[in-house]
Amino acid sequence: MPTLQRDWWALPTLQSTNVTLTYVLMRNLTRNPLRTGLTAVAFALPMGIFVLALSLVVVLTEAAAKNEKQLRLAVRNKMALTGYLPDGVRRKIEELDPQRQRLRAVCAMRWFGGRVPDTQDTLTSLACDVDTFPVVYSDFELSPEEGARWQSERRAAVVGDGVARTHGWHVGQRVELKSTIPPYLRLEFMIVKIIANSSPPNMFYFRRDYLRDSLEADGATGAGCNLIWVKCTSAANLRALQQEIDALFANSPSETKSEDENAFISGFVQAIGDIPGLARSMALVVVFIIALVAGNSMMMSFRERTSELAVFKALGFPPRRVFGLVLAESLLLALLGSLLGIVPTATGLALIPRQMLISASFSPPRFSALAVVGALTIGIVVGLLAGVWPAYQALRLRTTDALRRVA
Amino acid sequence: MSAADIELVEVHKHYRKGRIDIPALDGLSLTINAGALVAIMGPSGSGKSTLLHLVGGLDSPTSGAVRVGEAQLARMSERELTAWRSRHVGFIFQMYHLVPVLTAAQNIELPLLLFHMPASERRRRVDTALEVVGLTDRRDHRPSQLSGGQEQRVAIARAIVTDPDVLLADEPTGDLDAKTSEEILNLLSLLHADFGKTIVMVTHDPRAAAYGQRVLHLDKGVLDRDEVNPRVAQAVRV
Repeated sequence: MPTLQRDWWALPTLQSTNVTLTYVLMRNLTRNPLRTGLTAVAFALPMGIFVLALSLVVVLTEAAAKNEKQLRLAVRNKMALTGYLPDGVRRKIEELDPQRQRLRAVCAMRWFGGRVPDTQDTLTSLACDVDTFPVVYSDFELSPEEGARWQSERRAAVVGDGVARTHGWHVGQRVELKSTIPPYLRLEFMIVKIIANSSPPNMFYFRRDYLRDSLEADGATGAGCNLIWVKCTSAANLRALQQEIDALFANSPSETKSEDENAFISGFVQAIGDIPGLARSMALVVVFIIALVAGNSMMMSFRERTSELAVFKALGFPPRRVFGLVLAESLLLALLGSLLGIVPTATGLALIPRQMLISASFSPPRFSALAVVGALTIGIVVGLLAGVWPAYQALRLRTTDALRRVA
Repeated sequence: MSAADIELVEVHKHYRKGRIDIPALDGLSLTINAGALVAIMGPSGSGKSTLLHLVGGLDSPTSGAVRVGEAQLARMSERELTAWRSRHVGFIFQMYHLVPVLTAAQNIELPLLLFHMPASERRRRVDTALEVVGLTDRRDHRPSQLSGGQEQRVAIARAIVTDPDVLLADEPTGDLDAKTSEEILNLLSLLHADFGKTIVMVTHDPRAAAYGQRVLHLDKGVLDRDEVNPRVAQAVRV
């Protein structure tokens, strides 16, 4: 670069300036604060929802992985979940492995349909076999004292943390449930255990012998169950037993349908609504919307500054730097908006105790680094996608045409 | 301090609009001496701006040769032209084209970002350029806080801060009132007289053209008249 040699060219520095392209980039975001703000918010809100949705998917996926480890096989009436299976089915299943090498325990359950009196809160309430329940649900981690109380107290109940929190229940408390199915029994229970991280959070387990005796005392039959859980010793044994059990009861009056816990739950959940699928779809819609919003904003910004970008080129800025400037601006805006949505949501999920969010019917999402990284990645990709077309336009911009248009 | 001469030989420049071929320059040949202040006049569509863009390396001729100093522009690639522009040409536009979110000093500093230059050196050059255009006290003002004349002064400072060989001004007073126009033209004359810059100025305004040593009249892409302004030619030491 040639240098000026006049005396005045050597005047002392008056004040500092020192602009950089990064500074220009940052200042460009303040050019139209309202539009930048609205675009950032348009990013932030969906990104917050995205983190929530993804956290929920992660929680559900983790729950599914946890279930898989439990090696539980659900056996039910092939015709319908509400259909009964005779009590003898449990015994016949146990006889498939008398040495208990392939199955650990079998627990039959009967649907109670209990509702908390004076509320509309219907719980997933199941009467379970007293002897095998703690073995089949070893993941509930009943302490020796809790196990002893479950065995000794006929009205013992093990409840999910969601329902306990909703109704302010605690261990040792006596509670009542009223059945929503004939003969509409109203039973009293005593809570012996609250399950942490119960999924779903509105579970209510109690003893089947207590239900049977109560039904018979009321003149109804207490025999039969809706569901039998078989705790297996390995995944291979689970698959083998699944086929053996269904084969055993094939062509009998009580044909069975056996499936692993995740398949059973997903079938059950999908009857209500495919929550993970819904969450994923929502996330996709969110990404699509913000891509449109950001793309539109960047195009508007580019159109307003066509002549300015042309001047950058005229001054000697290489086209690739002008391309980078536009693309970086889009990326910066996307990152800003994404962080605006991600940080408060993730912080909220990380800091707000799960117990405050949980309810009888809602299993809240938990902070997930995966969701945060996923959302940030999406933000970056959307920022790049939104900026690439305006940046390409800037790259191809003919300086002379752009200057002529303005003049 | 540096200047360059300019030579155009049989320059043709055609634009295409759909199927129509529009000639902007039609075999134009001319020479401008180093350190000259030349005004270019002509009706709209006569090829004035096209000529300026070719000399500034913003566009390439359809045929013919354009030389500025040692550089044969017609033979240079887009990348070479871009690099050449940053070092050898300063542009002054009718609409100033300052970056509105930057201060006057920051606008002036922009072209220096293309050079590996210490921050202190950049600051020194910006301060000097501000001093030359008489806007030291407006260094931290944004374009929206400046008058039209002050904005054009900032644009001139931006054009000279890299110490280019040639200054190209496209209607530099087209958006200014008479008094401010005179101030800007005096400033250009100062740059020409004191620093020997080659200045090519496109204008519609005869009063602005009167500041040129030569006035080239273009019409339909050819040189119609080449007038020497004896008063300015005598006054200026080239």
